[in-house]
Formats: sequence, C-alpha cells, structure tokens
Amino acid sequence: MTTWRATAAMTRATALGALGVAAAVLFGAPVVVVLTAPLLLLAAMGLLHRPTTSPVVETEVDHVVLHEGQGTRVRLVVDDLSDVEHVTRLSSPVRHVALHPAAGRMGCLLEPDGEPPVVEASPRRWGRRLLGEENVAMTSRWAGYRWGPVSMVGSQLQVLPVRAPFDSRAEAPQPLGVVGAHRSQRPGDGTEFASIRPFHPGDRLRRIHWRVSLRTDALHVVSTRGEEDTAVLVVVDALADHGRSGGVDGASSSLDVAVRAAAAIAEHHVRRGDRVSLRVVGTGGETVRYGTGARHLRLIQSRLATMQVGTPRDLRGDQVQLGVTAGTVVIVLSPMLSDVVGTMTASLVKRGLPVLVVDTLPTDVVPAVVEGTDPRIADLAWRMRRIERREGLARLATIGCPVVAWRGPGTLDEVLHRLARRAQLPRVRVR
Amino acid sequence: MIQEWTRGQWALRATVVLGPVLALLAAAPAGAAPWGWLVVLVAVLAAFHARWPESAGGIAAPGVVVLFWGAALGDRLTAWALPAAAALLAAHVAALLAAYGPDGLGVDVPTLWLWLRRAGAAFLLAPAVLLPGLILRDRAETPGVWVVGLAVALVATVVATAALGRGAGD
Repeated sequence: MTTWRATAAMTRATALGALGVAAAVLFGAPVVVVLTAPLLLLAAMGLLHRPTTSPVVETEVDHVVLHEGQGTRVRLVVDDLSDVEHVTRLSSPVRHVALHPAAGRMGCLLEPDGEPPVVEASPRRWGRRLLGEENVAMTSRWAGYRWGPVSMVGSQLQVLPVRAPFDSRAEAPQPLGVVGAHRSQRPGDGTEFASIRPFHPGDRLRRIHWRVSLRTDALHVVSTRGEEDTAVLVVVDALADHGRSGGVDGASSSLDVAVRAAAAIAEHHVRRGDRVSLRVVGTGGETVRYGTGARHLRLIQSRLATMQVGTPRDLRGDQVQLGVTAGTVVIVLSPMLSDVVGTMTASLVKRGLPVLVVDTLPTDVVPAVVEGTDPRIADLAWRMRRIERREGLARLATIGCPVVAWRGPGTLDEVLHRLARRAQLPRVRVR
Repeated sequence: MIQEWTRGQWALRATVVLGPVLALLAAAPAGAAPWGWLVVLVAVLAAFHARWPESAGGIAAPGVVVLFWGAALGDRLTAWALPAAAALLAAHVAALLAAYGPDGLGVDVPTLWLWLRRAGAAFLLAPAVLLPGLILRDRAETPGVWVVGLAVALVATVVATAALGRGAGD
C-alpha cells in the first residue's frame, strides 16, 4: 500500500536546521542559526501539515468510444484530496495518441475547485488504443510529504474511423428492395417519369394525363418508375497493411484508406435508407449483416475499428463466404496485392453482380522488408509485385469490374452510372 | 536527462548550484574568505544536487557552507548572513521545485509564485533572529545561556514531534 513519505526537501530542511543548531552550539556561532532559521521554518510547516489520509486514486476517461481526431479527458479520481496540494502526472506516450500537455507530463497545484489536473488524449488513428501507463504522485502542503509515485494502467479507447468526406449522386445499378431512393427498372408509384400509356383498370385517377386523353379520345395516365432501396456489401481487404500511417493528420496506409472509405460509404448508404453489410477479409473475418439505421452504422464503424489485420491460414478466394444476394452492390476496398481478393472479386463479377473495386494502395508506398535485406532485391521484388498487381487489375477490367482510386466525394459516381447503364442492357448469362 | 530540461528547469538548477556558492562567498566581506578549493568543492556538490535534486546528497553543499560559517566566524554576528541565508533558501526552494517531477517536467508558474511567497515569508525569520543577536551582542553573556537554549530547543522538538505523531495516528 502506498503511503505518505517525507520528501527530500523536508529531510534536507530538517537536517540543515539541526546541523545549524548543532554548529551554533559547537562553535559558539549564533550567526549559523540566521542561515538555517528559514529552512527550519519550512520544515516545521511541512511537519505541521503532515497528511493523515490514505488516498485511493484511479483514472477515468470521459469517453471511451471516439472518432479519430476527437479528444477526451483523462481524469484523476481521488477519494480524498484534503491533504493534497500538488499533483504530478506522467503519462507514457503511445503511438497514434496525442496528449495535452504534449509530453504527457504535468505537475501543478490543485485547481481552485479542488479538481486534480486533467490530461487530454486524442487518438489519431482508428482501432483499439490503449492509453499509456500513468505515474501519479501527490505532494502535501509545504511539500513535506509525498504520496507515490504510483503506476496506473491506461484505459482502452475504441477509436472509430473518421467520417471521410464522401457523397454520391449515383443510383444503385440493380435496386431490388422495398422502399428506397433508387430508381427501379420496374414501374411503380414513384416520382420519376417513365411514360404516358393508356389507362388500365386499377390506375389512380390523379395519374390521368388530361391533355393527351382529350387529344386521343382515350384515357391516358402518366406512369412512373418505382423507387427501391438496394443492398450494399462493403468488403474490406485486411490481409495486410501497406504503407505508413501517420494518423488522421498524416499519411494514410492502405488500411487507413480502406477503413475510412468503408465508413464513409456505409454512412452514405445508411443515410439513403439502403441495407448495408460489411465483410472484412482478414484474420478476424469480421462480419456485419445487412441492416439500416444509425445503430447499424455504429455497429459497422465499431467492427471496422476492432478488426484484426492478417492473413488467415489456408485462405482461398473461391471459399470466402460473402452472403451476397441478387441486386447487391459489392464494393471491394483493397490494395489488390492478394490473389485471394482478386479471385473473390472475379467470381462475384462472373455471378452477374455489380462489383466495383476501390484501389486503396497509396501511390508512394514503400514495402516493409526484413532488416538486413538487400535493398536492390527488395526493390526488384516490389516492382515484380506491382507488375502482377497491374495485370490483375487489367484482368478484372476485362471481365467488367471497374477499378477506381479513392478520392473522396464522387469516387463511385462514374462507375456506378456505368454499372446502372449496363444493368439496363439485355444480358446473356453464361451457364 | 539534461537534454529534456526546459528553460525553467535550467533556471532552477542554476539556482541550486549558485545558491550555496554565493552563500559561501558571502562570508568573505564578513572577514572570512573561503579557500578556493572549498568554493570548488561546494560548487561540485551543488552541481550534484542540481542534477539529482531529490537525492539525500543535497544536504552536502549547504551543510559545508553552514559548517564553514560556524567555524570561520565564531561568535561574530554580521549582516552578511542575510544574503547568505537568502542564497541558501533560494537553492533549497529551487531544488524543491525541481524535485516535483522528472527532468522533462516544466515549471508550473502558480507553484513557482506560491513558493516565492512562502520563501519570502520564511526569509523574514532570518533578520528576526539576527536583530536580537545584534542588539544583545554587547551585553554580558549570561552563564549557561547556550545550554538553556539548546535544552529549550530539544524540549520543543520532542513536544512537537509527540504532538504531530499523535495527530498523524488519529
């Protein structure tokens, strides 16, 4: 159990005071008392304010779920501060967590309202972030006694990906739902004009187009297209992370781009009323079923934040179960450096699904190599890998799978328009 | 690490070094110039204290100064004891502030002001002790006054310790 102990200053002042008195007596020199009297007074004041309490200290975080770049306060909760005058807090720095004060060190008097000083923490990258170990020391009045330092384990934060700027005006290529915002290929009770056709029993009277009806002497009605929602499957390639992540303010790795883009796409479609699902191809194999609403969006963000990166053993592209149904738009976010994802994407395209790939490989990525590797060999290997990747992307384009680089708003518009146009063309299915 | 010291920490550490040296040198105008090697010794000990302000060795430099003043000046009373007391007090408070945290910890301004006020108040005790001494200097010494003074100080210490110990145990 941690207890209050005399500080070095207290010991020093007491010892010097005693030494002064002893020297004054020994040498018959009263002038020595003049030198040490102020120190004796400080020691006496420290003694007078000797603490009598045994504080219990713990840390408390205001918010444990945050978005990248947001900040929270890490408070020090002490049950009894009556003997405390000064608090020192030392937080160990952790990667991708910014602290204020910058070095995580602060020592100051108690606030006028008796609150201990607060450290502010701001995670700079999505994922699970464990705040660094913290050392806390408290000093009594007149710096006579010190409690601690005591090491305290840092709290864990769940950091959701930042809401990347994203917007799309494109409609889903093959909407196949109930009610939504996408123009259906089927006639229905929507607002999008389809044609003017002769009246059929069951048509609503307010749909009658009187001008055409008078001209043709037969009742005609305005027909519209139905509006349906669609299902969107977001597939995130978490087999590896390529590039260097500098957090929300710095450079982005391939997974940074994928996760932030996935969050933005999911948010966009959830807000439009579409059913959104998530599948992470990685060690964890995280999955979120189709759903809508704010709670569902939060679930997707949470899964993205907690996903495990790595390549599972014996993973084969044709064995990845995605649970895709007809009409689902599949958006694959991948650096396309893995054959598994390439095979999986190709098999989805061959099933006739609208699939598009968002290339998340940063342009300036440098491969991570084992220390001691000849840089020329590493460079050669990386060039070969990039050539293979280029060929893989070309093959995907050949079978009708568009590949686009992530660039925020409008990234998907052009390819979704093309997919929608293609969906309206008559097709011959290969069996 | 010294590299982590902020400007405020450098100022505190400099005060810790200069305080005992100046207190020692203040004996020179009073007629007891210290030897050169002693000044160097005190400076080295004070530098050690400045580097590790929380070490028990911090008593060495001011201890040498106190002993020198006692041995060199004897029963002489001089006003030069006031700047010496101020220098020792400044070094003590600077070390106290530096010991609030590790090397990289900045100096908290409100804490600094609080201790400046406290040190100023504590320093008033030095002239309060010196003045009666100067006034009573020329009077005939009462036999056994030092023994009585020491006995009173000891009794006061014992009583205070007992009182504080009982208070802390409650």
